[in-house]
Amino acid sequence: MNKFCNGLTRRDALRLGTASIFGSAIGLSDLVRAGEDPLSRNDLSLIYVFLHGGQSHLDTFDMKPDAPAEFRGEFKPIKTKIPGLLMSEHLPKMAAQLNKYSIIRSFRHHNSDHGPADHYMLTGYFPAAGFNSNLSPNNQRPTAGSIVSKSLGSRGSVPAYVALPKMHPSGGPAYLGASHAPFVIEADPSSPNFSVPDLVPPPVIAANRMNDRRKLLENVDKYHKALEVQANSNAKTISTFRSRAFDLMTSQEAKKAFDIHSEPEKLRDEYGRHTLGQSCLMARRLTEAGVRCVTIDHSNWDTHDGNFEVLKKTLLPVYDTAISTLFRDLADRGRLDKTLVVVTGEFGRTPRINKNAGRDHWGSAFSVVVGGGGIKPGIVVGKTDARAEKPSSDPYGPEDLFATMMNSLGINPKGEFHMPDGRPVGIVNNGRIISELV
Amino acid sequence: MRFSWFLIFLVGTSSVKAAQPLHFENDILPILGRYGCSSSGCHGKAEGQGNFKLSILGSDPISDWTAIVQEGRGRRIHPAAPHESLLLKKASGAIAHGGGNRISSNNEDFAILLRWIMDGCGLGPKDAPSLVSLRVIPMELEMKPSQNQPLQVWAKFTDGKEKNVTSHSRYQSNADQVASVSEQGVVTGGDTPGDAAIMAGYLGEVAVFRVVLPRSGSTIQFQLPQFNSVDSAIDNKLRKLNISPSGLCDDLEFLRRVTIDITGQLPTEMEINQFESDLSINKRRKKVEMLLERAEFADLWALRWADLLRVDREPLGHERAFLYYQWIRQSLINNKPWDSFARELVSAEGPTQEISPVHFYQAVKKPGDQAAMISQVLLGVRITCAECHHHPFDRWKQADYFGMTAFFSNSPVRHPRTQEVIQPYALGTTMPDAIPSISDKRILLAEWMTKPDNPYFARNVANRTWAWLFGRGIVEPVDDVRATNPPSNPELLDVLARQFTSDNYNLKKLILFITSSRVYQASSKPNDSNTKDEQNFSRAYFKRPDAEVLLDMIIQASGVPEKFPGSPDARRAVQLWDSKARHDFLKLFGRPNRVTACECERTHEPSVAQVLNLMNSPRIQAKLSHEGGFVARLSRDQADNKVVIDSLYKRFVSRPPTDQERLRALDYFSEPDRPRQVAIEDLAWALLNSNEFIFNH
Repeated sequence: MNKFCNGLTRRDALRLGTASIFGSAIGLSDLVRAGEDPLSRNDLSLIYVFLHGGQSHLDTFDMKPDAPAEFRGEFKPIKTKIPGLLMSEHLPKMAAQLNKYSIIRSFRHHNSDHGPADHYMLTGYFPAAGFNSNLSPNNQRPTAGSIVSKSLGSRGSVPAYVALPKMHPSGGPAYLGASHAPFVIEADPSSPNFSVPDLVPPPVIAANRMNDRRKLLENVDKYHKALEVQANSNAKTISTFRSRAFDLMTSQEAKKAFDIHSEPEKLRDEYGRHTLGQSCLMARRLTEAGVRCVTIDHSNWDTHDGNFEVLKKTLLPVYDTAISTLFRDLADRGRLDKTLVVVTGEFGRTPRINKNAGRDHWGSAFSVVVGGGGIKPGIVVGKTDARAEKPSSDPYGPEDLFATMMNSLGINPKGEFHMPDGRPVGIVNNGRIISELV
Repeated sequence: MRFSWFLIFLVGTSSVKAAQPLHFENDILPILGRYGCSSSGCHGKAEGQGNFKLSILGSDPISDWTAIVQEGRGRRIHPAAPHESLLLKKASGAIAHGGGNRISSNNEDFAILLRWIMDGCGLGPKDAPSLVSLRVIPMELEMKPSQNQPLQVWAKFTDGKEKNVTSHSRYQSNADQVASVSEQGVVTGGDTPGDAAIMAGYLGEVAVFRVVLPRSGSTIQFQLPQFNSVDSAIDNKLRKLNISPSGLCDDLEFLRRVTIDITGQLPTEMEINQFESDLSINKRRKKVEMLLERAEFADLWALRWADLLRVDREPLGHERAFLYYQWIRQSLINNKPWDSFARELVSAEGPTQEISPVHFYQAVKKPGDQAAMISQVLLGVRITCAECHHHPFDRWKQADYFGMTAFFSNSPVRHPRTQEVIQPYALGTTMPDAIPSISDKRILLAEWMTKPDNPYFARNVANRTWAWLFGRGIVEPVDDVRATNPPSNPELLDVLARQFTSDNYNLKKLILFITSSRVYQASSKPNDSNTKDEQNFSRAYFKRPDAEVLLDMIIQASGVPEKFPGSPDARRAVQLWDSKARHDFLKLFGRPNRVTACECERTHEPSVAQVLNLMNSPRIQAKLSHEGGFVARLSRDQADNKVVIDSLYKRFVSRPPTDQERLRALDYFSEPDRPRQVAIEDLAWALLNSNEFIFNH
């Protein structure tokens, strides 16, 4: 369908235009206003899959079959959907879907330390002095989900930003405040009796009783709508959150979105009956229902020991089913254009294999998978040198990734937020949009 | 290549003799600071920018000189054709520069840089005077919205001379909405009444200009009783701001507030009735004295100190973590003077099988970390920045960090840059040439810290105690004392520190002193003038109780205990000495993991998930419907609905309902098709979810 950038189809515009000619209440100004309404303007979302610990690039998307044995590792490359492009034999499904996403091979930053690198990849800002990765949240800058929540707002009664199956310590809102913190689903969607904790009242409380309770609460709360609540920001926030919580509890669409059990068994199998697979499926359901950003924190990619065993036996099969099915499923449902998917760890892993058959931290080069949301598919951006140690062309970093992500989501990468004290700060830290992908 | 250029410089220097030789540290670095080149957002950040790294704010002149003159394959300066130097071309935007045009080529500073290059890029005379201190004129001013006030910054050097460095200082306001500052040092009044501290920084030194911006409108007169010197300090400040404080809270508001603050518990129905019927004039004070003697006081305040002092079973193991915790708790039970507490901690030694603070040194192992934690927890000063570079907003240099570290280190401590051996010396003192021979250097630190005139210790403990009672510190964050983060009310902080010191660091007396003030006993009801005030204590602020306290309030109100896996003895959450014990509610409501010394690790940030938990958690519902619980017993044993309603109100929100509230509840009870037990449970549920329950006000 030929859509305008504001989400109205050409035919909508014509129909509205015609109506105004016939003197209907809808005039051109209404049409313009409809275009300005952020809710009708877009239904874009972000799914950010974080491979916590750092994924080896040499054993996945940037293989170096001609490098010496102590670098290239034991995996064999296979052909992909794109002629001439190779990837790991343990990612066959990803290889078959390469027409739906792209790979940045020349990605790099200067840090190889979990805490700061995580913050860098999840916020686009390298943390400043005083950063304490042990805090949770530890954000000095808002994470992608909070940026999106602030910029795009929520769509429908579902939360704008959801984290599952837990919140990454750098997944917080920083100065954007509690309103843009994630709604954290502390539960594993792959467990047979998965449900969102506390989303619905316990079974003993019937729905109409909850309505009674809600009315009673408004009557009983001495500070409901009182001056005290206006004067105390914490109480004000709780009051806002309470009405949001009621919306969430009573909304049919929210209930449906969180009900992963209503998915066909076959599709659930295809995603894979594991945390990552079912989290990806959940992310698809949630973004469809209006969630603006879902982050999935997936551990543990920190393969210092037995890199190849771990990748081959657990991590890559899990990744392959989950991520490839996510791209395919989004495409099948016509949602891929509206849903930007980013899959990355905090860094890559050392090209030289260590004495424990492992690979250590390596920020100097790694591969990032991006697709959907208008990103050109089937492209490989940049390359690394013979041993995948450094980009040999087109180096890109977290700032550039964030500029590209925000651009794809309709958020101006040159835009600014304001700190509570009024100081303006860039949404993105001077990144440039990765031109190959747009 | 680089070598031959050097020869050219040397020749060049002798032939081009300038009248006044430029000094790299005194003349060049301030320019790089002034235009943001060496800021933490640009070349000053840890990894530099575009392969060009400067020390933050010029704290390491030699490495900066090397970076400019020798690194970058010598391209940064071009002695044969000074105008071609990258340093100048980039800075002036003549060629592509990520930072844009910073110093235009017709600018005086550009000319200075150019002359320095032409003169041979020297470091300058070795015996040149160096910077000692900074002052800003004026130091303090009352301002109006939109009023402009230019600042003057004067730098004092070792030769006693002063130089106006206004144009080369950097400026920052800690509250832009109160007063903002331009790059030229012009302060402009904002639209929110309050105070602001404007920092002026020049090289490694900072000075502060303080602004008071009174609330606009006609001048407010108020005359409220002053119970002690806390009240006069607050009233003086509020008059300056043209804000009137709220009046006194009523007896039951006071009872609930102070009982939660001191013991982490709700007042019982019996306590409520007794307090109401007590007609003595000093009953509030008597109440506080009684509360301070309860074991729950020690439980709650031990929890707070255990957070800060890192009682953590992961490094310590269960047994030793518990011994460490017991030392803290017993100190509170015995009302140990807090200077003794600090001395014991700072100089702890001995066997590790005893109730003792020695376990601190196992929970935190590295001398540098021990020094930083002790500074932060006991002095309220954060020195960690200075491990790697001069603190950007404070006076602390690397030497100060390592001076503190030297107290805790068994081997000599050296400055990482100069490699000089650093003798142990305390913050704000000067390094001695040698220290007295003593078996344990930490004793010197403990003595210094607990002298009555120590500028940090008493203030810090008083400020923390105040923050636990008011929900925010006079210095906020409580553990970040520095010139650029001044107390909102210095007079008040002085009053408290003086009182605490003269009472021999008696914590209970300090709490009694604070809670005796009118300010602590203020109503939470705002008036027209103080609705926006959230930092000057003009009314009682709403406080979200700590996770453990909130859970205990739910346990207590429902009358149904909670099981704590792994801690069979704990009946209440505040008694959990092990912060790693799994508990979903405590995690959700912000219990800290105790991995830092920062008060900020415990959060009170609300979330939708918290609200959902209070409304829908099956565990909370089970507490409301448990047949042995308070709610079920009440509905079984008490036939009179009025009594039931009154009882529930007192149980949850520590007051009887108003007539109107009672009538509304009776209405709810009388609706057809609603079983009585259901109605009672629902009322309990609504009370538990009300703002009145989940905040201390």
